[in-house]
Amino acid sequence: MTPPSLRRAAALLAMLAVPAAALAQAAVEGRVELPKGLHAPVMNKRYGIVAFGGVLSPFPPVAVVYLEGAFPRPAAPPTAQMVQKDLMFLPWLLPVQVGTRVEFPNLDDTYHNIFSYSPAKRFDLGRYRSDERPIPSVLFDVPGLVTLHCDIHEHMRALILVVDTPHFVVSDPQGRYRLDGLPAGRYVLKAWLDSKTTLERPVLTQSGSTLHADFP
Amino acid sequence: MILPREAKGSGFASFRTRLLLAMMLVVSAVAAAGLLFAQRNVAANVRRDFQREFQAELAALHAIQDERHAVLAERCRALARRPRIHAALEDGALDLLYPSARDELVDLMAAGDGAPREAGAFALHALYYRFLDGRGRVISPPNARDVGELGPGEESRLSLGALPDGPQTGYLERGRGSPGGTIDEVIAMPIISTESGEVISAIVLGFRAAGMGGGRADFRSGIWLDGRLHLPSLPEPVRGGIAAEAARAIAADRTEGGSEVRVGGEPYLLFCMRLNPGSLFPPAYEVSIFSLADSLARRRLLLWQFAGACGLLLLGALLASHLLSGRLSEPVERLAVDSEENRAQRHRAEAALESTSRELQRSARFSADASHQLKTPVTVLRAGLEELLAGEYLSSEAREEVSALVHQTFRLAGVIEDLLLLSRMDAGRLQIQFSRLDLTPLVEAWLDDLGALPDPLDLKVEADYPPSLCISGEKRYASIILQNLLENARKYNRAGGRIRIAARADGAWAVLTVGNTGRPVPAAAQEHIFERFHRGAVGENVPGHGIGLNLARELARLHGGDLRLARSDEDWTEFEVRFRLAPSAGGPGETP
Repeated sequence: MTPPSLRRAAALLAMLAVPAAALAQAAVEGRVELPKGLHAPVMNKRYGIVAFGGVLSPFPPVAVVYLEGAFPRPAAPPTAQMVQKDLMFLPWLLPVQVGTRVEFPNLDDTYHNIFSYSPAKRFDLGRYRSDERPIPSVLFDVPGLVTLHCDIHEHMRALILVVDTPHFVVSDPQGRYRLDGLPAGRYVLKAWLDSKTTLERPVLTQSGSTLHADFP
Repeated sequence: MILPREAKGSGFASFRTRLLLAMMLVVSAVAAAGLLFAQRNVAANVRRDFQREFQAELAALHAIQDERHAVLAERCRALARRPRIHAALEDGALDLLYPSARDELVDLMAAGDGAPREAGAFALHALYYRFLDGRGRVISPPNARDVGELGPGEESRLSLGALPDGPQTGYLERGRGSPGGTIDEVIAMPIISTESGEVISAIVLGFRAAGMGGGRADFRSGIWLDGRLHLPSLPEPVRGGIAAEAARAIAADRTEGGSEVRVGGEPYLLFCMRLNPGSLFPPAYEVSIFSLADSLARRRLLLWQFAGACGLLLLGALLASHLLSGRLSEPVERLAVDSEENRAQRHRAEAALESTSRELQRSARFSADASHQLKTPVTVLRAGLEELLAGEYLSSEAREEVSALVHQTFRLAGVIEDLLLLSRMDAGRLQIQFSRLDLTPLVEAWLDDLGALPDPLDLKVEADYPPSLCISGEKRYASIILQNLLENARKYNRAGGRIRIAARADGAWAVLTVGNTGRPVPAAAQEHIFERFHRGAVGENVPGHGIGLNLARELARLHGGDLRLARSDEDWTEFEVRFRLAPSAGGPGETP
C-alpha cells in the first residue's frame, strides 16, 4: 500500500529486466503533474480506486511512469501478488510487465471470487479461501488495463496495468518518480494517470546520465 | 217484535265487520310499512355487504400482488447490483452480459424448457429477461433460449424510450390473438454504475402475471392493455361488453371506485385500476368484475321471502283481528241486548208509573171533588141548625142537642178541610211558600186559643221557648202542625194532667216538642200512628178522625223537616217536630 514498497518492487523488476551487458545505465526522473481537485467520496477513500464519470482513478492520485520500447521479454515469467485483505485489494494499482504471473492470495477469513471482464484479461478465479493451494494466479500476457472485481464483495476494486516493458515505476503522491537502469536510446516515456488518461513524451536516454522529464 | 231484532242482529254484524276491517287496515298498513322499511334496509345491507366483499376480495388480491411485486422488485434490484453484470456492462464485456446473468438468474428463471409446473412455483420465477442499452433498447441476447424466448415483435416491446430512473412495471401480451395468449408482467430495473453513479443499463424481467380471478366464480380480474381486454375466462360476448364498458371507464378516467354496468342483461360491478401508474411502459389497467347476478338473485329471494312473510303476517293478522274483533264486539253486543231489555223494562215501568200517576190524580181529584161537594151541604146544615138555635121554640134540651149538632158540623168541616189538604198534597199540588216565620208568636197564639177552649180536664200548660225562633216555612201550614199536636196533647190527656211545649234551636234546626200526660201509645201501635185514618187504641169517646198526625207529618216533611214520636211511656207522650232555621243576616235566628 505504501509507495516506497511499490517503488522497491518496481526497481527490483527493473533490475531483473536489464540485460547484464548494459553496464552503463541511464536514468530518468521527474515529476508528473497529478490531477487536482479529485474529491473522493469518503466511503470510497479506503478503496484506492475511485470512479468519476466512468473514469477509474487511483486515490490519492499517483501515476505509473513507464518507458515504452522494444525490450526483450524475460525468460522466466516474473511474478507479483495482489493480496485481498480486510475486504480490499492490496495494492490497488499494480503495474506488471506483460508475461507476469500475478498471485491472488486471500488473507481474509471469508471467500473471495476475483474476476475480470476487462478486454486485456478475462478470468474468473472462482470462490476460494485463504487456505487455497496453490495460490490462485493469472498470467497477464496482453498489455492493457485490467479491472479486478470480487463477485462476492461488489465494492472491491483494483487495477492491474499490464505494460510491455520492464521499466515502470509508480510515482509518489507528489508525482515524483525515478526510473533507473534504463538502456540508452530513443524511447517514449509514458505516464498513466487514470483509465482514460496516459501522457507520453519522447526521451533520449544517455548512459551514465540522468534525464529529467516532467509531465506535462 | 222479531223484525227489529233481526235489524239489530245485522247491525251488530256490520259493527263487527267494520271493526275487523279497521283493524285489518291498521295492521296491514303497519305491517306493510314495517316490511317495506325492513326490506329496503336489508336490500341496502346486502348491497353494501356485496360491495364490501368485493372490495375486500380486490384488496386481498392487491395485497398479494403488491407483496409479490415487492418480492420481484427486490430480486430484480439485487440482480441489478450483481458485480458480474456491472463488470460486463462497465468493462465493455457485453458478450459476457447474458452469460453472466444466466448464472446469476439460474435460480430466478422458470424452467427453461417451459414445462408446466405448479402455478405457485411460477409466481416468483422469471419467464425471460433482457438488458437494455444506454438508450433503452433491448440488447439482443446471443442465445435466446437461455434468456427466455420471445415471439417476433415481442422483444422490441420491452424497449423503453430511455433508461428508467427507477423500477418500472409493464405488461406484455404474448401470443397475441392466439388462444394461448397470455399477459406477462414485466419489471424493468435500472442498473446504476458503481463507477459513474449513472444508469448504464436496465434489466427487464418478465413474470407470469399474478393469478387472475381468484378462487371465486363471480369474481374475475383481467388486464386491459393496448386497447384490448385480456380476460380469457369470460365468454366472448360478455368480454366484448365488459371491454367496451372498461374502455369507457378508462377513457373517462373513472378509475376510482366501482361502477355498475349491465352486459348481456347481466349486472356487473366493474372496477378499473391503473396497474403501472407513471410507468414508461404502455399503461395497463386491471379490470375487475364482480357478477351481481348472485346478489340480485339473493335480493330477489329476499324479496320473495319478505312477500311470503308479509302474506303470512297478514293472514295471521286477519285471524287475530277476526278473533279480537269477535271478542271486542261481544260485550258491546251484550250491552246492546241489555240496553234493549232495559229499555223495555223502563217502558213498562214508565207505563205503570203513568197509570199509577193517573190513578193517583184521579183519586186526588176525587178527594178534592168529594170535599168540595161535602163542604157546601155541611155549611147549609150548620146554617140551618144555627137558625134553629136562634129560634125561640126549642126547649133547653133540644137546644143543647142542636148545639152539639152544630159542633159536629164544625168537626165535619174540619175533616173535610184536612182531606182537601191531603188530597192536594197527594196530587203534588201543594207547594210551601217559604218565608221567614217566627215560631214563638205562633205558639203563643195557639196557647191562647187553647186557654179559651172549655177545659174539663183541668190541664196545666207549661211552655219553654225563646222569645224568638225564626224558621223557614209558611205560616198557614206550620199552624196546622202546631194545632194538630196541641189538640192531640189536650185530647189524649188525663184529668189533672199537664201539657208541655218547648222550643229550641239545635244546630240548623228548630226543635219543637209537645208532650202530654196520659196513657201512652202502645208499643205495637207506635209505628202506625202516622198512618192515615189510624186512631190507635183510644176509645171512641175521644174526638178525632185519624188524619191529624198524618197530615202534620206530611206538612213537616214538606217544610224540609220531620215529625216523630219522641217518647211514649208510662204517663208521658212527647212528639218532636223539626223545622229548618231561617237563614238570617245575623247567623242562626236565635236569641237566648
